Amino acid sequence: MSAIKSETSSRLVKASWHEKAVARGGVVSIALFFAVVCIVFSLATDAFLTTPNLLNIVRQSAPLLIVASAMTFVITTGGIDLSVGSVLALTATLSAVLLQWGVPWPIVVLALLCLGAAVGALQGFFIAYEGIPAFIVTLAGLSVIRGIALLITGGYSIPVDPASGFNMIGRAWFIGMPVPALIAIVVLALAYTAFNETTFGRYVTGVGANAEAVRRAGVNTRLVTLMVYVLTGSAAALAGIILASRLGSGSSNSGQGFELDVIAAVVLGGTSLFGGRGSVVGTILGALTVAVIANGLILAHLSPFLTPIVTGSIILIAIWLNFRLFKGGSRSR
Amino acid sequence: MTDSLPYRVRMTGISKRYHPIQVLDDVSLTLKPGEVLGLVGDNGAGKSTLSKVLSGAIIPDAGSIEIDGEVVSFASPADARAARVEMVYQDLSLCDTVDVAGNLFLGREPRRRIAGLSFLDKARMHAEARAMLDRLGIVIADTRLKVENLSGGQRQSIAIGRAASFDPRVLIMDEPTAALAVAEVEAVLDLIRAVSARGVSVILITHRLQDLFLVCDRIQVMYEGRNVAERHVSETSIEEVVNLIVGRKFAARSAGAAGSTGVPA
Repeated sequence: MSAIKSETSSRLVKASWHEKAVARGGVVSIALFFAVVCIVFSLATDAFLTTPNLLNIVRQSAPLLIVASAMTFVITTGGIDLSVGSVLALTATLSAVLLQWGVPWPIVVLALLCLGAAVGALQGFFIAYEGIPAFIVTLAGLSVIRGIALLITGGYSIPVDPASGFNMIGRAWFIGMPVPALIAIVVLALAYTAFNETTFGRYVTGVGANAEAVRRAGVNTRLVTLMVYVLTGSAAALAGIILASRLGSGSSNSGQGFELDVIAAVVLGGTSLFGGRGSVVGTILGALTVAVIANGLILAHLSPFLTPIVTGSIILIAIWLNFRLFKGGSRSR
Repeated sequence: MTDSLPYRVRMTGISKRYHPIQVLDDVSLTLKPGEVLGLVGDNGAGKSTLSKVLSGAIIPDAGSIEIDGEVVSFASPADARAARVEMVYQDLSLCDTVDVAGNLFLGREPRRRIAGLSFLDKARMHAEARAMLDRLGIVIADTRLKVENLSGGQRQSIAIGRAASFDPRVLIMDEPTAALAVAEVEAVLDLIRAVSARGVSVILITHRLQDLFLVCDRIQVMYEGRNVAERHVSETSIEEVVNLIVGRKFAARSAGAAGSTGVPA
């Protein structure tokens, strides 16, 4: 018996650097893609690798980064939130409407963040406590919430008073950085910490891997599931506020297809749609890759309509690489 | 075995009926501290149901359970856990994509407070996980390995180690050695011995009869929802246990065997 044990232990070497890279295959492959895309555009255009342009990329992709970091939690539990684009449109619209009514802008921001959280909690209730698949609940949400936004505006775009302090959120600069970029960095830091360093993040992964096991361990898994939709709802509301502030108007048509960009960024980052496997760092790289492609194609004077083609191809190739090249990192799938 | 000790577990007259089928019919079970009891029987004999009654997952229609002389009634697995009855489920209840230490501490992670906020104390979690594994002689190189990268035996060991770490009075294991390689079966059986040596009473449900003779003190055989026999391992053989399990279905001589158990049908 002791002979068997010692033999087993000698075979169980600690994971090598290469094996660790394979285990994090999703993140490694998107990091490679991100590097390649950055290098290509740096060489192809003069304007790409300049501080103003890089800051501009982060400023423009702030809504995507914010919502994608929250979506990482949802997808890691094995769920999905299709309603984020509609929540973004609703909060963008409502922020313009409330400001027109003369509501002070800090109250508008707080109220809309609470609204986003409430919408997320309602959807989360149906998913976690009533057991309706997340795809169906949030598909209904996508339709209903967009409809409310259209109903409020009648399809028109509502302007925000240019003198309002509200515009600072999307346009101001602070310590040499655009404010949306700073907000995104804070949100990403919070998301990273919550995902990796708290019990909540641990249970999010656990629910995606084996919800029954986490439940048997005495964790309120339904509450964990509900909370991840509160996160995406609040994040989408924050994104809507930033967008309305940056554009100076609230449009009920904003954020169409936004949910798909968000899901693409998360999946590109190596988070598994089956749940149990997620990475906030991967999501950041995924979102930035999507943003860099859009930015770089325009700088290279290529048609902006190439963006969806290139992005879509990279999604497929990156996931294919995860399955093929980095196979072995995960035994189960 | 230590005959003078009081019973750790005494289940008497346990019955459970699922509409047309009497799954358990006046079943009894006794267990002493540190004893390993093998619970065997054919599929549908009621051994899983009986163990679920003790772990609180099934509420019996009749019968009583005493633990250390105290009458208990479990309405849920949480009640059983509060009475320090742990069960290792056949599906192990592990999160594949969480590391070894994370699975051992699932639901009770050590935390540290920074600026009023609660964070995972990963350093302490890994150190305590290492100590926990070493204490039970479980060989796993790195507590940071994800459970999906471990062998079947190692996964089983982690599930048992986690249950044992709750300092249980009774540990129930459902088929812990099914689908394991030979050397891994040995390691798991060693682990069962290590756990029982610490005074934990173990109920082992298994179809692998050879395992029973390696770790059990006593074997209880069930047949169609009833106890049909109880044997000390020193006083029986695999052949006899097989005959008891298949019951009256096959051999005429099993009627004699059943009669000699002293348990009326």
